[in-house]
Amino acid sequence: MAQPITMPQFGQTVEECTIVEWRKNEGDKVAKGDILFEIETDKAVLEVESFFDGTLLKVLVQEGETVSVQTVVGFIGEPGEAIPEVEAPSPKAVAEPVPAPEAPSQLAPAAPPTRGKAAPAAPSAPEKPKRFIISPRAAKLAREKVIDPTRIRGTGPKGRVVEQDVIAYLEERGYDRLRVTPTARALASKEELDLLSIEGTGDGGKIVVDDVKLAVAEKPKPMSKIRRVIAQRLTDSFTTTPHFFTTVSADLTDLLALRAECKAQGMGYTVTDFIMKAVVLALEESPAVNSSTDGKSVWWHSHVHLGLAVALDRGLVVPAIRCAEELTLAQLHEEAGRVTEKARAGKLLPEEMVGSTFTVSNMGMMDVENFTAIINPGESAVLAISSAIKTPVVRDDAVVVRTMMKMTLSSDHRIIDGATAAQFVNAVKAKLEDSELWKSMI
Amino acid sequence: MEKYDLVVIGSGPGGYPAAIRAAQLGASVALVEKDILGGTCLNWGCIPTKTLIASSDLFHRARRADSMGICVENVSFDYAAMLERKDAVVEKLRSGVAQLLKGNKVTVFEGVGSFKDRKTIVVKKDKEKTAIEAANTIIATGAKSTVPEFLPKHDRIVASRAFLTRTELPESMIVLGGGIIGCEFACMAAQLGVKVTIVEMLEDIVLTLDRDIRRELRRHMEKTLDIEVLTGASLEDVKADGGSVGGKAGDERITADLLLVSVGRRPVTDGLALDKAALETDEAGYIPVDDYCQTRAGTIYAIGDVTGGVQLAHRATSQGLTAAENACGPNRRKMETVVPACIFTAPEIGSVGLSEQDAKEQGIKVRTGKYPFSALGKAMALGDTLGFVKWVADADTDQLLGAHAIGPHATELIAEATLAIRDELTARELGKAVHCHPTLSESWMEAAHAVHGESVHAAPRRKPR
Repeated sequence: MAQPITMPQFGQTVEECTIVEWRKNEGDKVAKGDILFEIETDKAVLEVESFFDGTLLKVLVQEGETVSVQTVVGFIGEPGEAIPEVEAPSPKAVAEPVPAPEAPSQLAPAAPPTRGKAAPAAPSAPEKPKRFIISPRAAKLAREKVIDPTRIRGTGPKGRVVEQDVIAYLEERGYDRLRVTPTARALASKEELDLLSIEGTGDGGKIVVDDVKLAVAEKPKPMSKIRRVIAQRLTDSFTTTPHFFTTVSADLTDLLALRAECKAQGMGYTVTDFIMKAVVLALEESPAVNSSTDGKSVWWHSHVHLGLAVALDRGLVVPAIRCAEELTLAQLHEEAGRVTEKARAGKLLPEEMVGSTFTVSNMGMMDVENFTAIINPGESAVLAISSAIKTPVVRDDAVVVRTMMKMTLSSDHRIIDGATAAQFVNAVKAKLEDSELWKSMI
Repeated sequence: MEKYDLVVIGSGPGGYPAAIRAAQLGASVALVEKDILGGTCLNWGCIPTKTLIASSDLFHRARRADSMGICVENVSFDYAAMLERKDAVVEKLRSGVAQLLKGNKVTVFEGVGSFKDRKTIVVKKDKEKTAIEAANTIIATGAKSTVPEFLPKHDRIVASRAFLTRTELPESMIVLGGGIIGCEFACMAAQLGVKVTIVEMLEDIVLTLDRDIRRELRRHMEKTLDIEVLTGASLEDVKADGGSVGGKAGDERITADLLLVSVGRRPVTDGLALDKAALETDEAGYIPVDDYCQTRAGTIYAIGDVTGGVQLAHRATSQGLTAAENACGPNRRKMETVVPACIFTAPEIGSVGLSEQDAKEQGIKVRTGKYPFSALGKAMALGDTLGFVKWVADADTDQLLGAHAIGPHATELIAEATLAIRDELTARELGKAVHCHPTLSESWMEAAHAVHGESVHAAPRRKPR
């Protein structure tokens, strides 16, 4: 009997998922363990494997559609096998999700972006949030001419654009003088571009395929769901949290020597491991840094759930290491390795990415001298770690070369004062520079 | 010191049109030529070989004329007379070039041109030296055949230019290098009854062509003209003596009366003293230019074979016109990028744009449409039904990306395709254009229909999904 494929439940908090891509087509052979499709939640992109051997008989939920978890999205079975009645899950699947993930109003461009020489192109389009109305004949003409009708001022009732407006607009903009190669026109039409805003580089300003391709590349595209969530959260944080920044340089010379020794003995501690441990210890001394506020109430967190920023192609994820204060250096090392690997493989569960109380963002491997980070919502501070660089410094009134690493703490000024921040970053620095401390741990 | 708005070095198919176009634009122009007017194309390349091929082709067809109901008894040829005709054609064209240059008031300097600095050219002839001042310069010195070092120096081992000066045809010939030039000479000689063996180091002959075209060409060269084609083979241990020339190709030792070397051409920059103009060649010896045919030195342009890329006379001409206009005209324009190729093998080949395999390598989803001459009325009437035409179109936009023709008059047929591709026509549009009946060019229309599985005069096939 054909087996239903259901949208899996990823953790407790996820109620619906979007299918980003089907890796198998209807009719494809599927082996148990093969990746069937990719889904996207508001936190991550994940791959879904098949539990059965057989043939993908039917796809019920198409790419781009969002359905609740446990919805049947397709069937696997033997070719020719009858597919069970699908009416039950199907209407729910279509009815429930918000139709198109591409359609949040703040992302739809009010007008195509102006670019280059084409910039002063729209004298007739005062930005107004008013509804755009157009007659079917006018819309058809605009489509045929491959132009953007929203730039046309309508003279019909309630500003409705009528065919005559399109004709007048074409004349006013010198549409007849436009020269376009056939393929360029076809491509522009398919991509729903506006020929009047494309600059032609062919003979006598003729619009050629390359010009259209350039315009296609510049067309606004919807952000991925995960990217949109990141954008929203970072904007919220940066615009609602009063950030201030405190930078210190830690002398890593001794610690790096110790780490090299460890490595020689087969212990693979990373610089990040030491930093995380130092942070956990310092947080115990400055509990305000491990708290959070909404401006009215303060939450003092009794555990350190340490967020670790991991850069991926599709965005930044911050898996949390739970109760980091209970972990030894070796355990921290193991746990950091585990979550990083999982993040890179796109296998983090949504639960593993929430609830952190403080975040470390390490760009040390990316050759930066200093940077500031934006506070993760729900936290009050984030520590930005830069590269360890050999630097001339003064020791005992003499200039010597030491390996220095800058750390910048971004703090929520509503809850952390300058003195607290200074005390905290200097505590982290002192611990990193204290070889005896580390020797006692390894 | 005489002063010119433009000095062109080299009077080949790139140089002399550049000089004339600049003169048309009102510039004072000097043209420097070290040998004879017309360059490789007119004197030792396109024109003389095509003149000989016209003769060999007629002979080939005369021998088969009975299939057309014509009785030609004891048909034979006179190679010396063919050469005479070739010389007459070349001479006529060469004097035509001289007339055109004179008519346009272009001053011709005989001798080797070299830079003294960016604005001064010295022309050396024997011991005489003339310095001329050049506001702009176009380098159009071309390329010449390379003969690899490992080949002994002998009368029986020749490159294309020397082949044309030989007064007799060999009975047998080895062609080293199965590129365009090698294949053209091989077909011409084979049509005149020479036993030809091609030795090509790469995996196939004329490797730049579309795979379908190559397969068809090779089939006819081997079957109809009885040419032996050895690919993936190098010719080693080459020895020549009074009786024959030969070498080892793979395990086999092959010998012949003559060895024609056509392994490639190298740019000619000797004597130019590019360093005086602070110019350098690239690693392969070519002069690098930008899209406007301009070198690193703003007033110095370079065109044609000396700039690398595809070595074709009409490309040099087009670049020459571009460079002359950029140097002496009011507007700057980029050089043309859609350059057709014509190959005078038997059967002929015309090609422009991307081959199917090139397009696929670039990650383009392609759709092709082919139409065989064997299904075309005019080709049947002509008694020449070898080959086919083929479009390569973008499956997403229907844009015509490449056109490939092999068969009767393929070198003429490619002109329509070139225009279509340059102006970014779609297969649908080309299919709508009315084509004369009965003509060979109808094949383009049928093939354009075939891109969408809609060719009227071909057996139905499954429409592409």
